[in-house]
Amino acid sequence: MLEITNISKTFHPGSVNEVFALQNVSVTLNDGDFLIIIGTNGSGKSTLLNAVAGSFITDSGKISLSGHDITKWPEHKRASLIGRVFQNPFSGTAPTMTIAENLSLAAKRGKPRGFNWALDKQLQSELRDRIRTLNMGLEDRLGNAIGSLSGGQRQALTLLMASWLKPDLLLLDEHTAALDPKSADQVIRLTKEIIERDRLTTLMVTHSMQQAVHLGNRIIMMHKGQIIHDYKGSTRQGVRSEDLLHRFEEVRRREQVDVRVAELLQRMYV
Amino acid sequence: MSLFLGALTIGLILSLLALGVYMSFRVFKFPDITAEGSVTFGAAVSAVLLVQGMDPGISLLAAFAAGAVAGAVTGILHTKCKINELLAGILVMTALYSVNLHVMGKSNIPLVDAKSTSTVAEKIGAWIFGQTTDLNWFGWEVSIRDAGMLISMFAVVAAAAFILLMFFQTNLGTAIRATGDNPQMIRALGVDVDIMMILGLAISNGLIALAGALLAQYQGFADVQMGIGMMVWGLASVIIGEALVGSNKQGLVVTGTVIGSVLFRLLVAIALRWGLNPNDLKLITALFVFAALVGPTIGRSFMNKRGNQPSGRTV
Repeated sequence: MLEITNISKTFHPGSVNEVFALQNVSVTLNDGDFLIIIGTNGSGKSTLLNAVAGSFITDSGKISLSGHDITKWPEHKRASLIGRVFQNPFSGTAPTMTIAENLSLAAKRGKPRGFNWALDKQLQSELRDRIRTLNMGLEDRLGNAIGSLSGGQRQALTLLMASWLKPDLLLLDEHTAALDPKSADQVIRLTKEIIERDRLTTLMVTHSMQQAVHLGNRIIMMHKGQIIHDYKGSTRQGVRSEDLLHRFEEVRRREQVDVRVAELLQRMYV
Repeated sequence: MSLFLGALTIGLILSLLALGVYMSFRVFKFPDITAEGSVTFGAAVSAVLLVQGMDPGISLLAAFAAGAVAGAVTGILHTKCKINELLAGILVMTALYSVNLHVMGKSNIPLVDAKSTSTVAEKIGAWIFGQTTDLNWFGWEVSIRDAGMLISMFAVVAAAAFILLMFFQTNLGTAIRATGDNPQMIRALGVDVDIMMILGLAISNGLIALAGALLAQYQGFADVQMGIGMMVWGLASVIIGEALVGSNKQGLVVTGTVIGSVLFRLLVAIALRWGLNPNDLKLITALFVFAALVGPTIGRSFMNKRGNQPSGRTV
């Protein structure tokens, strides 16, 4: 279970670049929940994900995962509970190392690393079997450097790596945004398969309304560092992508009015 | 002939330095100038121990440990204190100059009378060839000490390179390599990248200090100035090695680095023989590394202008 309670984060506090990235955000996820986070650019959706992953320590509030208070844990310590796929396909793998070596690194996620061989016989055969499930023909290229693979292949491998040891929480940060439509479909299908098979508790950020509607059992919409809408339970059932787009339009219009009013006031009084 | 053998032996000794530079500069992309201090640090520590009658093997271990501490300090300055990598190295290198003077007590320690690795190597040579007089190799007179030293150094370097390569295949070793390759990724897999970098720089400088200790014992003295220019020297060896093997495969690159170091030393010996002014040596080494760094870039833009696909590797 993931419990996020009243977390806030301000970047560059007190300067002209001050950004209230997260403002008193609270979300609770039960085991097996698949939460989709959507929002405009700069709404704080990736920041929320990074706060959970531990890329930075929040200014206030509390995050707990599977009974541990991880609020102050550094990123590498949280990794023992969390699997993560990044937006950039280059971020999730070590390019000069081979496919097999990359997976062997993931097979030790959050565990002590000593002087045993990274690639023992048992792991090698397990690698082959699990890579075969990707249906990308990579099982015959285990000795190739990851740098020679396409973005879609890398994301599929990163997904496999993040879920190699069943994580208590899976974080997906717009992991198909940088891919061509065909690879994106492939990776989404794989994402769905893995999450359903292992019943992973998942937080996924996406720009695609289509993905938001077709995946997951809950959607939250963020704007300016706050959760402005939460579709869950029966409200989640009937949601169509048009409804989400409509919501966005509303938010945008409200914003425009604000700006126009501000300009009007300025003209009148200054 | 003894000139040739000497160049080979020094080339082998300095290939440990090159392996250390490979580790910091290639594995971590960390231009670690601590090397200049650790070479001398290793030489100083082992020389002082030898003069006190300590076993040569123990003096080498102590040198490795001393270098490892220096490397770890640079790593801590960079990761924990957020000091720029070059500056962290410069700080430790500068501090080591005083440390080395303190360790040695003077600026130069002669080792001619002390029982050192070369004494041991002489015995090994005598044991291998079954004689204590000079050898006759293809009509050249070779002293048993030189031959023994060459063989011993070859064994030491082969063992070091082998251990390093094996280490890179372990769980810890792959984590260290991944730290240099993609810290974001390996952090997300639960590895403390700061610790990996500190550990890696410790190993790197341990090797470099070992090279310093062996060099001092071979040439018969430790000198506080002996580290100057060593980092660039190691870099030159790494670059030559990579050009030789033309591959990114780690096993090949490590072997190439050792060969590169020996080759570079031989080239220098030949150049000196042909009348190169020894004072110009560091200038030429620096120019060589400069050319190797800039060459691929110029080559690529030249190829691009001619409408060809970009090729060549970035250094």
